[in-house]
Amino acid sequence: MTELKAAVRLSLFGILLVAADALTAQEDWLAKDANWNEHKTRLQAFGERFENAWELYTYLQETANGGNALTWEDMPKPAYDWSGVYTRTGGGLSFDPDISANETTAKLTEAGASARQRKIDLITSTGGEYDPLSDCRPPSFPRWATEPFLHEFVVTPNQTWLMNEMVNDVRRVYTDGRAHTLPEDAYASANGDTIGFWTDGMLVTHTTYLISGQYQRGTQPDYSDRVDVVERWKKVDGNTLEADYWVFDPVNLSEPWYTRQSWTQLANDDDLLRLRYWDCRENQNNDILEKNDGTSQFSDFDFIENDAAVSTDEDVKQAAE
Amino acid sequence: MKRLLRHSLFLASMGVVGAVHAHHSGAMFDDTKVIELTGVVKEFQYTNPHSWLLVDITNSDGSVTTWGFEAEGPSTLMRAGIRKGDLPPGTPITIRGNPMKDGRSGSAWIDAVVNGKTVNPRNGFAVIPAAE
Repeated sequence: MTELKAAVRLSLFGILLVAADALTAQEDWLAKDANWNEHKTRLQAFGERFENAWELYTYLQETANGGNALTWEDMPKPAYDWSGVYTRTGGGLSFDPDISANETTAKLTEAGASARQRKIDLITSTGGEYDPLSDCRPPSFPRWATEPFLHEFVVTPNQTWLMNEMVNDVRRVYTDGRAHTLPEDAYASANGDTIGFWTDGMLVTHTTYLISGQYQRGTQPDYSDRVDVVERWKKVDGNTLEADYWVFDPVNLSEPWYTRQSWTQLANDDDLLRLRYWDCRENQNNDILEKNDGTSQFSDFDFIENDAAVSTDEDVKQAAE
Repeated sequence: MKRLLRHSLFLASMGVVGAVHAHHSGAMFDDTKVIELTGVVKEFQYTNPHSWLLVDITNSDGSVTTWGFEAEGPSTLMRAGIRKGDLPPGTPITIRGNPMKDGRSGSAWIDAVVNGKTVNPRNGFAVIPAAE
């Protein structure tokens, strides 16, 4: 009987060891290599262990023993030198860069699927859509991750700035140990409130207090104002920044949505590439109106004397009245 | 020229086709039609979020119509190797685009031939990494 008990204890210990190994392996950074499909499945499963993004973030923070503080002496090290001009590596208008923009790997709730279907129906019936970006409203986060154009990333010991040329968009990640804004003082905004910590050369972040939006135009899903996100950024080689994204949204997602986002440092030997100011009002020809059918149209070109007289579009004629 | 050729080959290898409208829907353009016009540059509005190349086209009756060709903003054009100074007013140009559906003289810029050289603003979305 004693031997049986010992054998059971040994077996249980073995199971615990295997389970612990599996958990540890799941939370490790996994390379986007030939085994990426398997790695992606593991990282998705890892996210699904948590009820919400804050739980995932605090788990990562606790396993990192709170993370490590950076100093200015750390800044020239390859892990923290994110200087240069970057752009999204690939993926076009798809939030999951591994698939085309007409597909999604998000596990949608009924509400999320209905919202996506409404977008599909509009495009099918009208051949177009209206994007709030057209009047220089911000893409908002997490859509921010999918936008093309030029990016710059600046790491400092207490803050990291994630910048996109589009609408002069800057996300600030506070890594000085501060907490999120208190709920009673918080309000929802396009980029929300982001805090983070560094561990083993990786920047782990949590973002909350976000407004609702869409992951992208076309058939990409929507997110609600209850969305929050955990990111894990890492410079994987001299030219490439990658980030794990776990998006939680109890309204539109039945499970967290895991993706690996990526940005590539561009060749800029002549230093001509630089982020430029972005203002829709600088050029009249970029004035976009939202049509009555929910699609887009140019309102009034400066190279045409009387647009309403030339255009066959009733919305252009109405806009001129 | 080598840079433009490299961009074109990269895009071809990636299967990048069709218009890319990263800032607004492309619903106003008819991407089933392509127009080709020859004229002279009137003005290059090198602006965010979109640039506009205005081209004066002389019609058969001698009148002149100004056409506007839309492309991405300065940073994307720079990546395509197209600088503002490359297209000063008066530059002869043959240009192609997807015309607007509503009959106005606007178009999504596909490519152009300037001084015997082909330029393609959409090459600006090619990702050419820095040397490590």
